[in-house]
Amino acid sequence: MSEQETGGLVIQGPAALNFPPPSTGYARSAYGNVTPDFGPAPWVSVRPNGHVRVFAGKVEYGQGIRWGLAMAAAEELRVPLDVVEVVLGDTDRTPWDMGTFGSQSTRYTGVQVRKAAATARQALLVAASTTLDLPVEQLRCEGGAVTSASDPARTVSYAELVREHPGVRDLLEDVPVTPASDFAVMGHDTGRVDALDRVTGKAVYSQDVRRPGMLYAALLRPPSYGARLVSVDDTAASHMPGVVQVVQDGPVVGVLAESDEQAELGLSVLQAEWEERDDHISQWDLPAALAEHPHDPVTIQDDGDPERGLQRAAHTLEATYYIPYVSTVPMEPRAAVAEWDGDHLTVWAGTQRPFGIRGELAADLGIDESQIHVIAPELGGGFGAKSIYRPAFEAARLARTAGRPVRVAYSRQEEMAWTTFRPAALITIRSGFASDGALLAWDFNAIHTTTDRPMIGQRGSESPYTAPDRKVVVSSGPAPLRPGSYRSLGGAVNHFAREVHMDEIAQALSMDPVELRLKNLEDRRYRRVLETAAESFGWEPHTPGSGRGHGVALGWDVGSYAAECVEVRVRGKEVSVDRVSSAIDCGLVYNPEGIRNQMEGSIVMGLGTALYEGAEFEGGRLLNGSFARYRVPRINNVPDMDVAIVGDDNEPPTGAGEPGIVPIAPAIANAVYDVTGTRLRELPLQRHL
Amino acid sequence: MATMHVNGERHEAPDNRRNLLSYLRYDLGLTGTKYGCGEGLCGACTVLVDGQPLKACLSTVGSVAGGQVTTIEGLANDGELHPVQQAFLDETALQCGYCIPGFIMTAAGLLDRVSHPTREQVREALAENMCRCGTYLRIERAVISAAEIANE
Ligand code: FES
Ligand code: FES
Repeated sequence: MSEQETGGLVIQGPAALNFPPPSTGYARSAYGNVTPDFGPAPWVSVRPNGHVRVFAGKVEYGQGIRWGLAMAAAEELRVPLDVVEVVLGDTDRTPWDMGTFGSQSTRYTGVQVRKAAATARQALLVAASTTLDLPVEQLRCEGGAVTSASDPARTVSYAELVREHPGVRDLLEDVPVTPASDFAVMGHDTGRVDALDRVTGKAVYSQDVRRPGMLYAALLRPPSYGARLVSVDDTAASHMPGVVQVVQDGPVVGVLAESDEQAELGLSVLQAEWEERDDHISQWDLPAALAEHPHDPVTIQDDGDPERGLQRAAHTLEATYYIPYVSTVPMEPRAAVAEWDGDHLTVWAGTQRPFGIRGELAADLGIDESQIHVIAPELGGGFGAKSIYRPAFEAARLARTAGRPVRVAYSRQEEMAWTTFRPAALITIRSGFASDGALLAWDFNAIHTTTDRPMIGQRGSESPYTAPDRKVVVSSGPAPLRPGSYRSLGGAVNHFAREVHMDEIAQALSMDPVELRLKNLEDRRYRRVLETAAESFGWEPHTPGSGRGHGVALGWDVGSYAAECVEVRVRGKEVSVDRVSSAIDCGLVYNPEGIRNQMEGSIVMGLGTALYEGAEFEGGRLLNGSFARYRVPRINNVPDMDVAIVGDDNEPPTGAGEPGIVPIAPAIANAVYDVTGTRLRELPLQRHL
Repeated sequence: MATMHVNGERHEAPDNRRNLLSYLRYDLGLTGTKYGCGEGLCGACTVLVDGQPLKACLSTVGSVAGGQVTTIEGLANDGELHPVQQAFLDETALQCGYCIPGFIMTAAGLLDRVSHPTREQVREALAENMCRCGTYLRIERAVISAAEIANE
């Protein structure tokens, strides 16, 4: 850490927070050996000019973490938002961090920043008490200065204080933080701190990083998944204008040129011979392959005996649901720039795991982590998937051979075909229930295409509905496409099956689907989001199939609860979602505007998976790897949305970036049934209408 | 060789066939204009040429020779934000922000032609711009309020 950064008053504290996370051990199970660095590391500094700097290993992909952390520091230090600078995701400058996923940013990092800033406030008060010769109790912090409560003329600015009393202090774990009732910044709608750079084009994303002497790479890609490279002939390619070198380093083959277009042209004449596999599973064969080859079943819920419950129940239902692979489609395709200085490597990579990628780079390149500096610029969307970030490795290898900085920037087609997908799943549910709607038996059997990362499929599979006999089992199955993270991981997938099935029960009993759910929900927080969403929607009780086009679903994710009611119209094969009323309970609210923005985004993204999106593949090739055939929601597909935030201040803050996606696809499917009378159990709906 | 004005400055691009988006981003360093698909299907690369929105990824420098090219970096006037930029700020009409320059340029082009666009006109004009973060409703509100700011 440089002198420039350590000047002023620095508050340091433990780095690796809450590692591994309580129930899941997520990072470990997801990414193998992760070596946390527990610190201490600087979290907050008050600079010699009185400005405040916050350090966090998280990255910004649009969720507003920079905004949230700036609010936390501004609140505790009683300074305006615009003097707070937030330094994110930089392995040389920020505290170690496991990665930005699972909506943990506010939960842990936000709390840590609040404590660090409150510690700084306390230190400033103590320092001011000496300077002003007044007891601490008679002082208050306000507008970047410490002032006497009785005599506003007796005041000293933070800038003066930290110049007189610089140094490093330890974060006080039990420091009192500002109670929610006194919030002046947090919990209020403020302008987003980094928005100006984004509307003026100044924000720098991975695709925008340029270094002196940088070469542009175009990478050789196999014709199909799993193909083996037999030989490469680069004679023609290396003579193309602007081409500097054709590099083959292990599995990475790249044409390096002075411009992006020259690299592409060079690649187009590179001759390669491949040996392709002939055992590919196509999209058509996948449901059967999943049904036939489940493995590693994990029991998630196990109460009573569902077989017995099914036998005793007056009514039973069995149905199977299929959710195809979905492409993540961040607006920014992945890109990385790597630059070597002797045996020291710097990589700019917009990954959700800069520290994790540093460790993996070290292993891949056979060097020590201390020789590697990873900087995460702004991320143009991530949605979980940018935890895996291959271009960092490709750029590092190519740059090592070339001896010049190298940029690897994925094209849209590469981003679609050569990254990861939300896994597909085949889910069978058997339920038993009484004539009054009481759920008696629940048997949920899901097979996700998750292979080595089974926890993706497990998320959100537990049923919130009480039933004496309940069993939930999640298995893995064959994965022709590479599984990866996605908003809520498999949460939205499991919710689709469960929440459509609840609608089918309501239909079988001629009951109102809201009433049926309430009958089987004990948890107050579920009931409240459901009742709130129904009320803002103006829900009129009805049996599914009413012709209105109304649908409802609820769910939970990352500790938060959400419910959504939707209204749709169907014309031919086109479904238009006209309005969505949603409610979320994510505990204590720091940033209501940020929560609404995330809920709306989740609804729009989930609308795509409900109606249009599904990866098509055959013979190891992705067939819809372009926006020409992979449709995502556009502005004229977007419903009117309202978001009610209903959490209690005494509940800890939980995630808001993901819960909104879990109920939306089933709510839309249920609404489509309500208007058409056709029960669709397979996504995307428009393909099956 | 193609001569053009970019954000008011005269530039000479040596090769007529050079892709306009690459030229702006990598030769001129104007990286505010984004690459999203390279196929004219997402609008992230939208710039104004003589005031009209154009998808730079599908154009060459030769095709805009002699023209006035405006990118997101050149939209503010003497440090004062364009009404569309201001309205995007006011509405927090952005999440990751990657799509936003393209939306702003398309919207600026629209407001040049239609001073009080209806919701339907806004949707139609922006239908080819993609925002994966799903900030569409805010974008729509921002464009409509930008028209109000501009007409004040
Ligand atoms: S990059 Fe030009 S339209 Fe997508
Ligand atoms: S704000 Fe992220 S793609 Fe639009």
